[in-house]
Amino acid sequence: MNTRAGQDGANAQLGRHARVVAGKEILFDSENFFWDFEDWSEEAVRELAKEAGLERLEEDHWKVIRFFRDYYAYNGRAPLNSKLKKGTGLSLLELEGLFPGGLKYGARRLAGLPNPKTCN
Amino acid sequence: MKKIGLTVNGRKHEFVVDDQIVLLDILREDLDLIGTKQSCDRKGQCGACMVLVNGKSVRSCLAKVVKLDGADIITVEGLGTPDNPHLIQEAFVLAGAVQCGFCTPGMIMATKGLLDNNLNPTVAEIKKALSHNLCRCTGYKKIVEAVQLAASFLRGEQKSEDLYPAADAPMLGTSHIRPSAMVKACGLARFGADYKISDALELAVVRSELPHAKIISIDTSEAEKMPGVAGVMLAKDVKGTNILKYIVADRPVLCSDKVRYIGDPIVAVAAETHAQAVAAAEAIKVELEPLPVLENTDQAMAEGAIQLHDEIPNMCFEQPIKKGDAEAAFAGSAAVVEGEFVTQINHQAPLEPEISLAYWEKDEDGEDKLVVVGRSINIHTHLGMIQEAVGYENMRYEEAFAGGQFGIKIDVITEGIAAAAAMHFQRPIRYVPSLAESMLAASKRHSFKMRTRMGADADGKITAYANDFVVDNGAYYSIGHVVALRALQMLTGAYHMPTLDIKARLAYTNNPWGSAARGAGPPQQNFAMESTLDMLARKMGMDPLEFRYKNFLEVGQGVSTGQKVEQWPIPALMDAMRPNYERAMKEAKEQATDTVKRGVGLGCGSFGIGGPGDASIVAVELDDDGGVSVFGAVADPGEGNDSMLTQIACEVMGLTMDKVRLNTRSTDVTAASGPAAGSRITYMMGNALVNGLEQLKEVMAATGAKTGKELEDAGKSRRYIGRKKNIEGTPLDPKTGQGPNFETQVHAVQMAEVEVNIETGEVKVIKMTTAVDAGKVIHPQNLTGQLEGGMDMGVGYALREEYIAGKTHDWRSFKFPTMATSFDMEVIVLETPRKTGPLGATGVGEMCMVPTAPAVLNAIDDAAGVRITILPATPEKVKAALDAKA
Repeated sequence: MNTRAGQDGANAQLGRHARVVAGKEILFDSENFFWDFEDWSEEAVRELAKEAGLERLEEDHWKVIRFFRDYYAYNGRAPLNSKLKKGTGLSLLELEGLFPGGLKYGARRLAGLPNPKTCN
Repeated sequence: MKKIGLTVNGRKHEFVVDDQIVLLDILREDLDLIGTKQSCDRKGQCGACMVLVNGKSVRSCLAKVVKLDGADIITVEGLGTPDNPHLIQEAFVLAGAVQCGFCTPGMIMATKGLLDNNLNPTVAEIKKALSHNLCRCTGYKKIVEAVQLAASFLRGEQKSEDLYPAADAPMLGTSHIRPSAMVKACGLARFGADYKISDALELAVVRSELPHAKIISIDTSEAEKMPGVAGVMLAKDVKGTNILKYIVADRPVLCSDKVRYIGDPIVAVAAETHAQAVAAAEAIKVELEPLPVLENTDQAMAEGAIQLHDEIPNMCFEQPIKKGDAEAAFAGSAAVVEGEFVTQINHQAPLEPEISLAYWEKDEDGEDKLVVVGRSINIHTHLGMIQEAVGYENMRYEEAFAGGQFGIKIDVITEGIAAAAAMHFQRPIRYVPSLAESMLAASKRHSFKMRTRMGADADGKITAYANDFVVDNGAYYSIGHVVALRALQMLTGAYHMPTLDIKARLAYTNNPWGSAARGAGPPQQNFAMESTLDMLARKMGMDPLEFRYKNFLEVGQGVSTGQKVEQWPIPALMDAMRPNYERAMKEAKEQATDTVKRGVGLGCGSFGIGGPGDASIVAVELDDDGGVSVFGAVADPGEGNDSMLTQIACEVMGLTMDKVRLNTRSTDVTAASGPAAGSRITYMMGNALVNGLEQLKEVMAATGAKTGKELEDAGKSRRYIGRKKNIEGTPLDPKTGQGPNFETQVHAVQMAEVEVNIETGEVKVIKMTTAVDAGKVIHPQNLTGQLEGGMDMGVGYALREEYIAGKTHDWRSFKFPTMATSFDMEVIVLETPRKTGPLGATGVGEMCMVPTAPAVLNAIDDAAGVRITILPATPEKVKAALDAKA
């Protein structure tokens, strides 16, 4: 049969899932973005950063993460890179190099911004 | 060539034309009179291009200009403006006959042609005069009413100014003028094709004519030499991933190695004019080597079937629901029925073709920014998808006015190609595909194959329900499993079903890719469930209304996934329907003849809104005049979301409509509110708006500030982010399917009255009646407009419409609903305030697609004693069933 059964296969890849991070259960979407912007904490992001290969978050990392969060909290959307460059004073090359996975799959995810995808 | 003189809206013009130029071209291209629309590939099928020529309404796509020398032309722009509209334009706005607005100018011009000659038209005369004009949104009811209202204005019986609601009329329950209605009625709303872009290249795309094949070669050499051609674009020229990923990364912007359905895009060609691009596309030679075709889900799931996508098996999702011991319940039932049901692949059929534009501009830092303009109802998600697909980040998506969508625009359709082409050619791009190409390119409603069984005890209480169903996902995933999940979550509809044995599967095939389509899953499943239930009632000799009444879910009982409900007002809807049902049953008996039998059928629907885990966000700002600006990606392709946002904001803030400013169309200024889909807008975005405004009011109260400036002077922000966050969205249990469900529901009981000609198998819908409870009503006209349009669409789904790849290519072959197929409708509204809804409201956009088809099919059975289980119930199928019965 050209099939794949249930939960251990495709299903698990498609939906949101819960994990305990820094002692708190947090929901993530299928691409490991925070489901809820408000579930984010500095403790959680330190742990997630370590998993991503960042042993320690330096000042520039925090500058980027805080900009993402402040921008989203004010605008309700993620910033374009041009806003990010201006807001942090860092070049795109510097920004991309700061986070494993780059800006969208690294920094934006660590900053707790949701994936703007939903269709329930 | 010939020199022709025309008077257009009172101004004289001269044109030198060849004998092929039609009036539509002159009006739109030369005079920028964009109120005259084009949908049907200039076949005269849609009427969106209707104008007056020497006082007669004429389809301008068919009118050769060489034959019009000296003619006097009036377009919709010649009637009036928003500040000084014509009475017919006012009548359309006041009657609520303007939804998406794409058909509206043509409708208005046909009305003008009629009323100039007949100020007392009968309904039959109105229907005849507007018989060439198509509308997908309204079900034609409010359009007929608008013509009648216009006639009464012109006869001097009523004054239009007397019908405008007072500015201080209540914001809940008053049909205040829809903010976008008048600009649409005056033909000034810019839809995609109406944008003029300097120096733009026009795009044409070569698409697969085979459902599954290997691409052997692409020869563009002839095309590239043709006049005006700027170049071609292949998959290798797309700079990013070349994949449009909504959930699963499987759909290419342009195919590189294989094609997987009839319509898959292979190569794009850009030229200075549209005609040059189309001619060049025809000169491109694509060699395809056919591969085995998965025609249906049985073939896709069979042993040894070819796998369509390398990374994911054909059967790509499954989820059961197991509740209690259904087998034991069936064994102990007094009666059991079973059936096999199939729903067709269908086109959502927005009137506007799938147009996309892309152009470059300098951003505030002088960097190149790519602007994509399209029909999206999901601009932030689509922006992200296109950024990755084409490999460019500095981008904005702008929603143009959209000529209907009905789910089709939850996913990217043509914008990916337009954006990639703007990158490749470094020029602005207009991609204006034909209707035929739009049908090939766009997603479709999923086909479901369902095997059902239902049992009841001797008292007529349902004991068990089983449904083993497979969803045909088509060639690409889009939102595939979401459709299957929605069917599961709403599986038991309005009823209590104590035991369930359900299996849902989703499989890729080489059919057109399925995606959202008004209702998205529940209409298909509810057709099977309500049909099976009706069969059971009839088998037990019980009246279908009484049988339904006996089995309605009660507060405190659980829906299919086990979640208990707190509000379930459907019995009151059945009470409201009962006198209509008794009247209809009596008339059916009285009016049946030997040849034409008459029947009555019921269907119920309880449609979930506000899914588990869903979230939305809207920003609000207090303006310097004390008004409010709203910033949210709240698309409005016709439903009236502009009314909803405005009236909620007025109600919460105590404002009049002119003090609310909506910013909903651009990713540069809006909050990412999520898609305008799943009937979620009023509930999710309305709730987020209320939340934002309540924060604002709290700060205003604390500071005494009345304006944005006063707030800032008091050291406070003028801007607040409103949120709506639903109950936690953990997945359904993988073995039992139990888990969270929707936060609220809209309910409806629907009744179809039909005539069946037993000699021809022809079915005619006489009347549809719906009793609906969508919570507190914000805008009564918008609510009934959704229900009427939904009933019309549901009847088309039940009786006529089907998309057959390679065969369905225009509105005639699709069997688009017309004035001639329209029918009498009645809407009964109950208003049970929803505990969690914004100001007690919920949603209503998809409701009428859910119970309509089963109501019609149950009525056919009632009339003629035949059960049609494969949609659509064409005369051929009905006749075959009648012959088999005989």
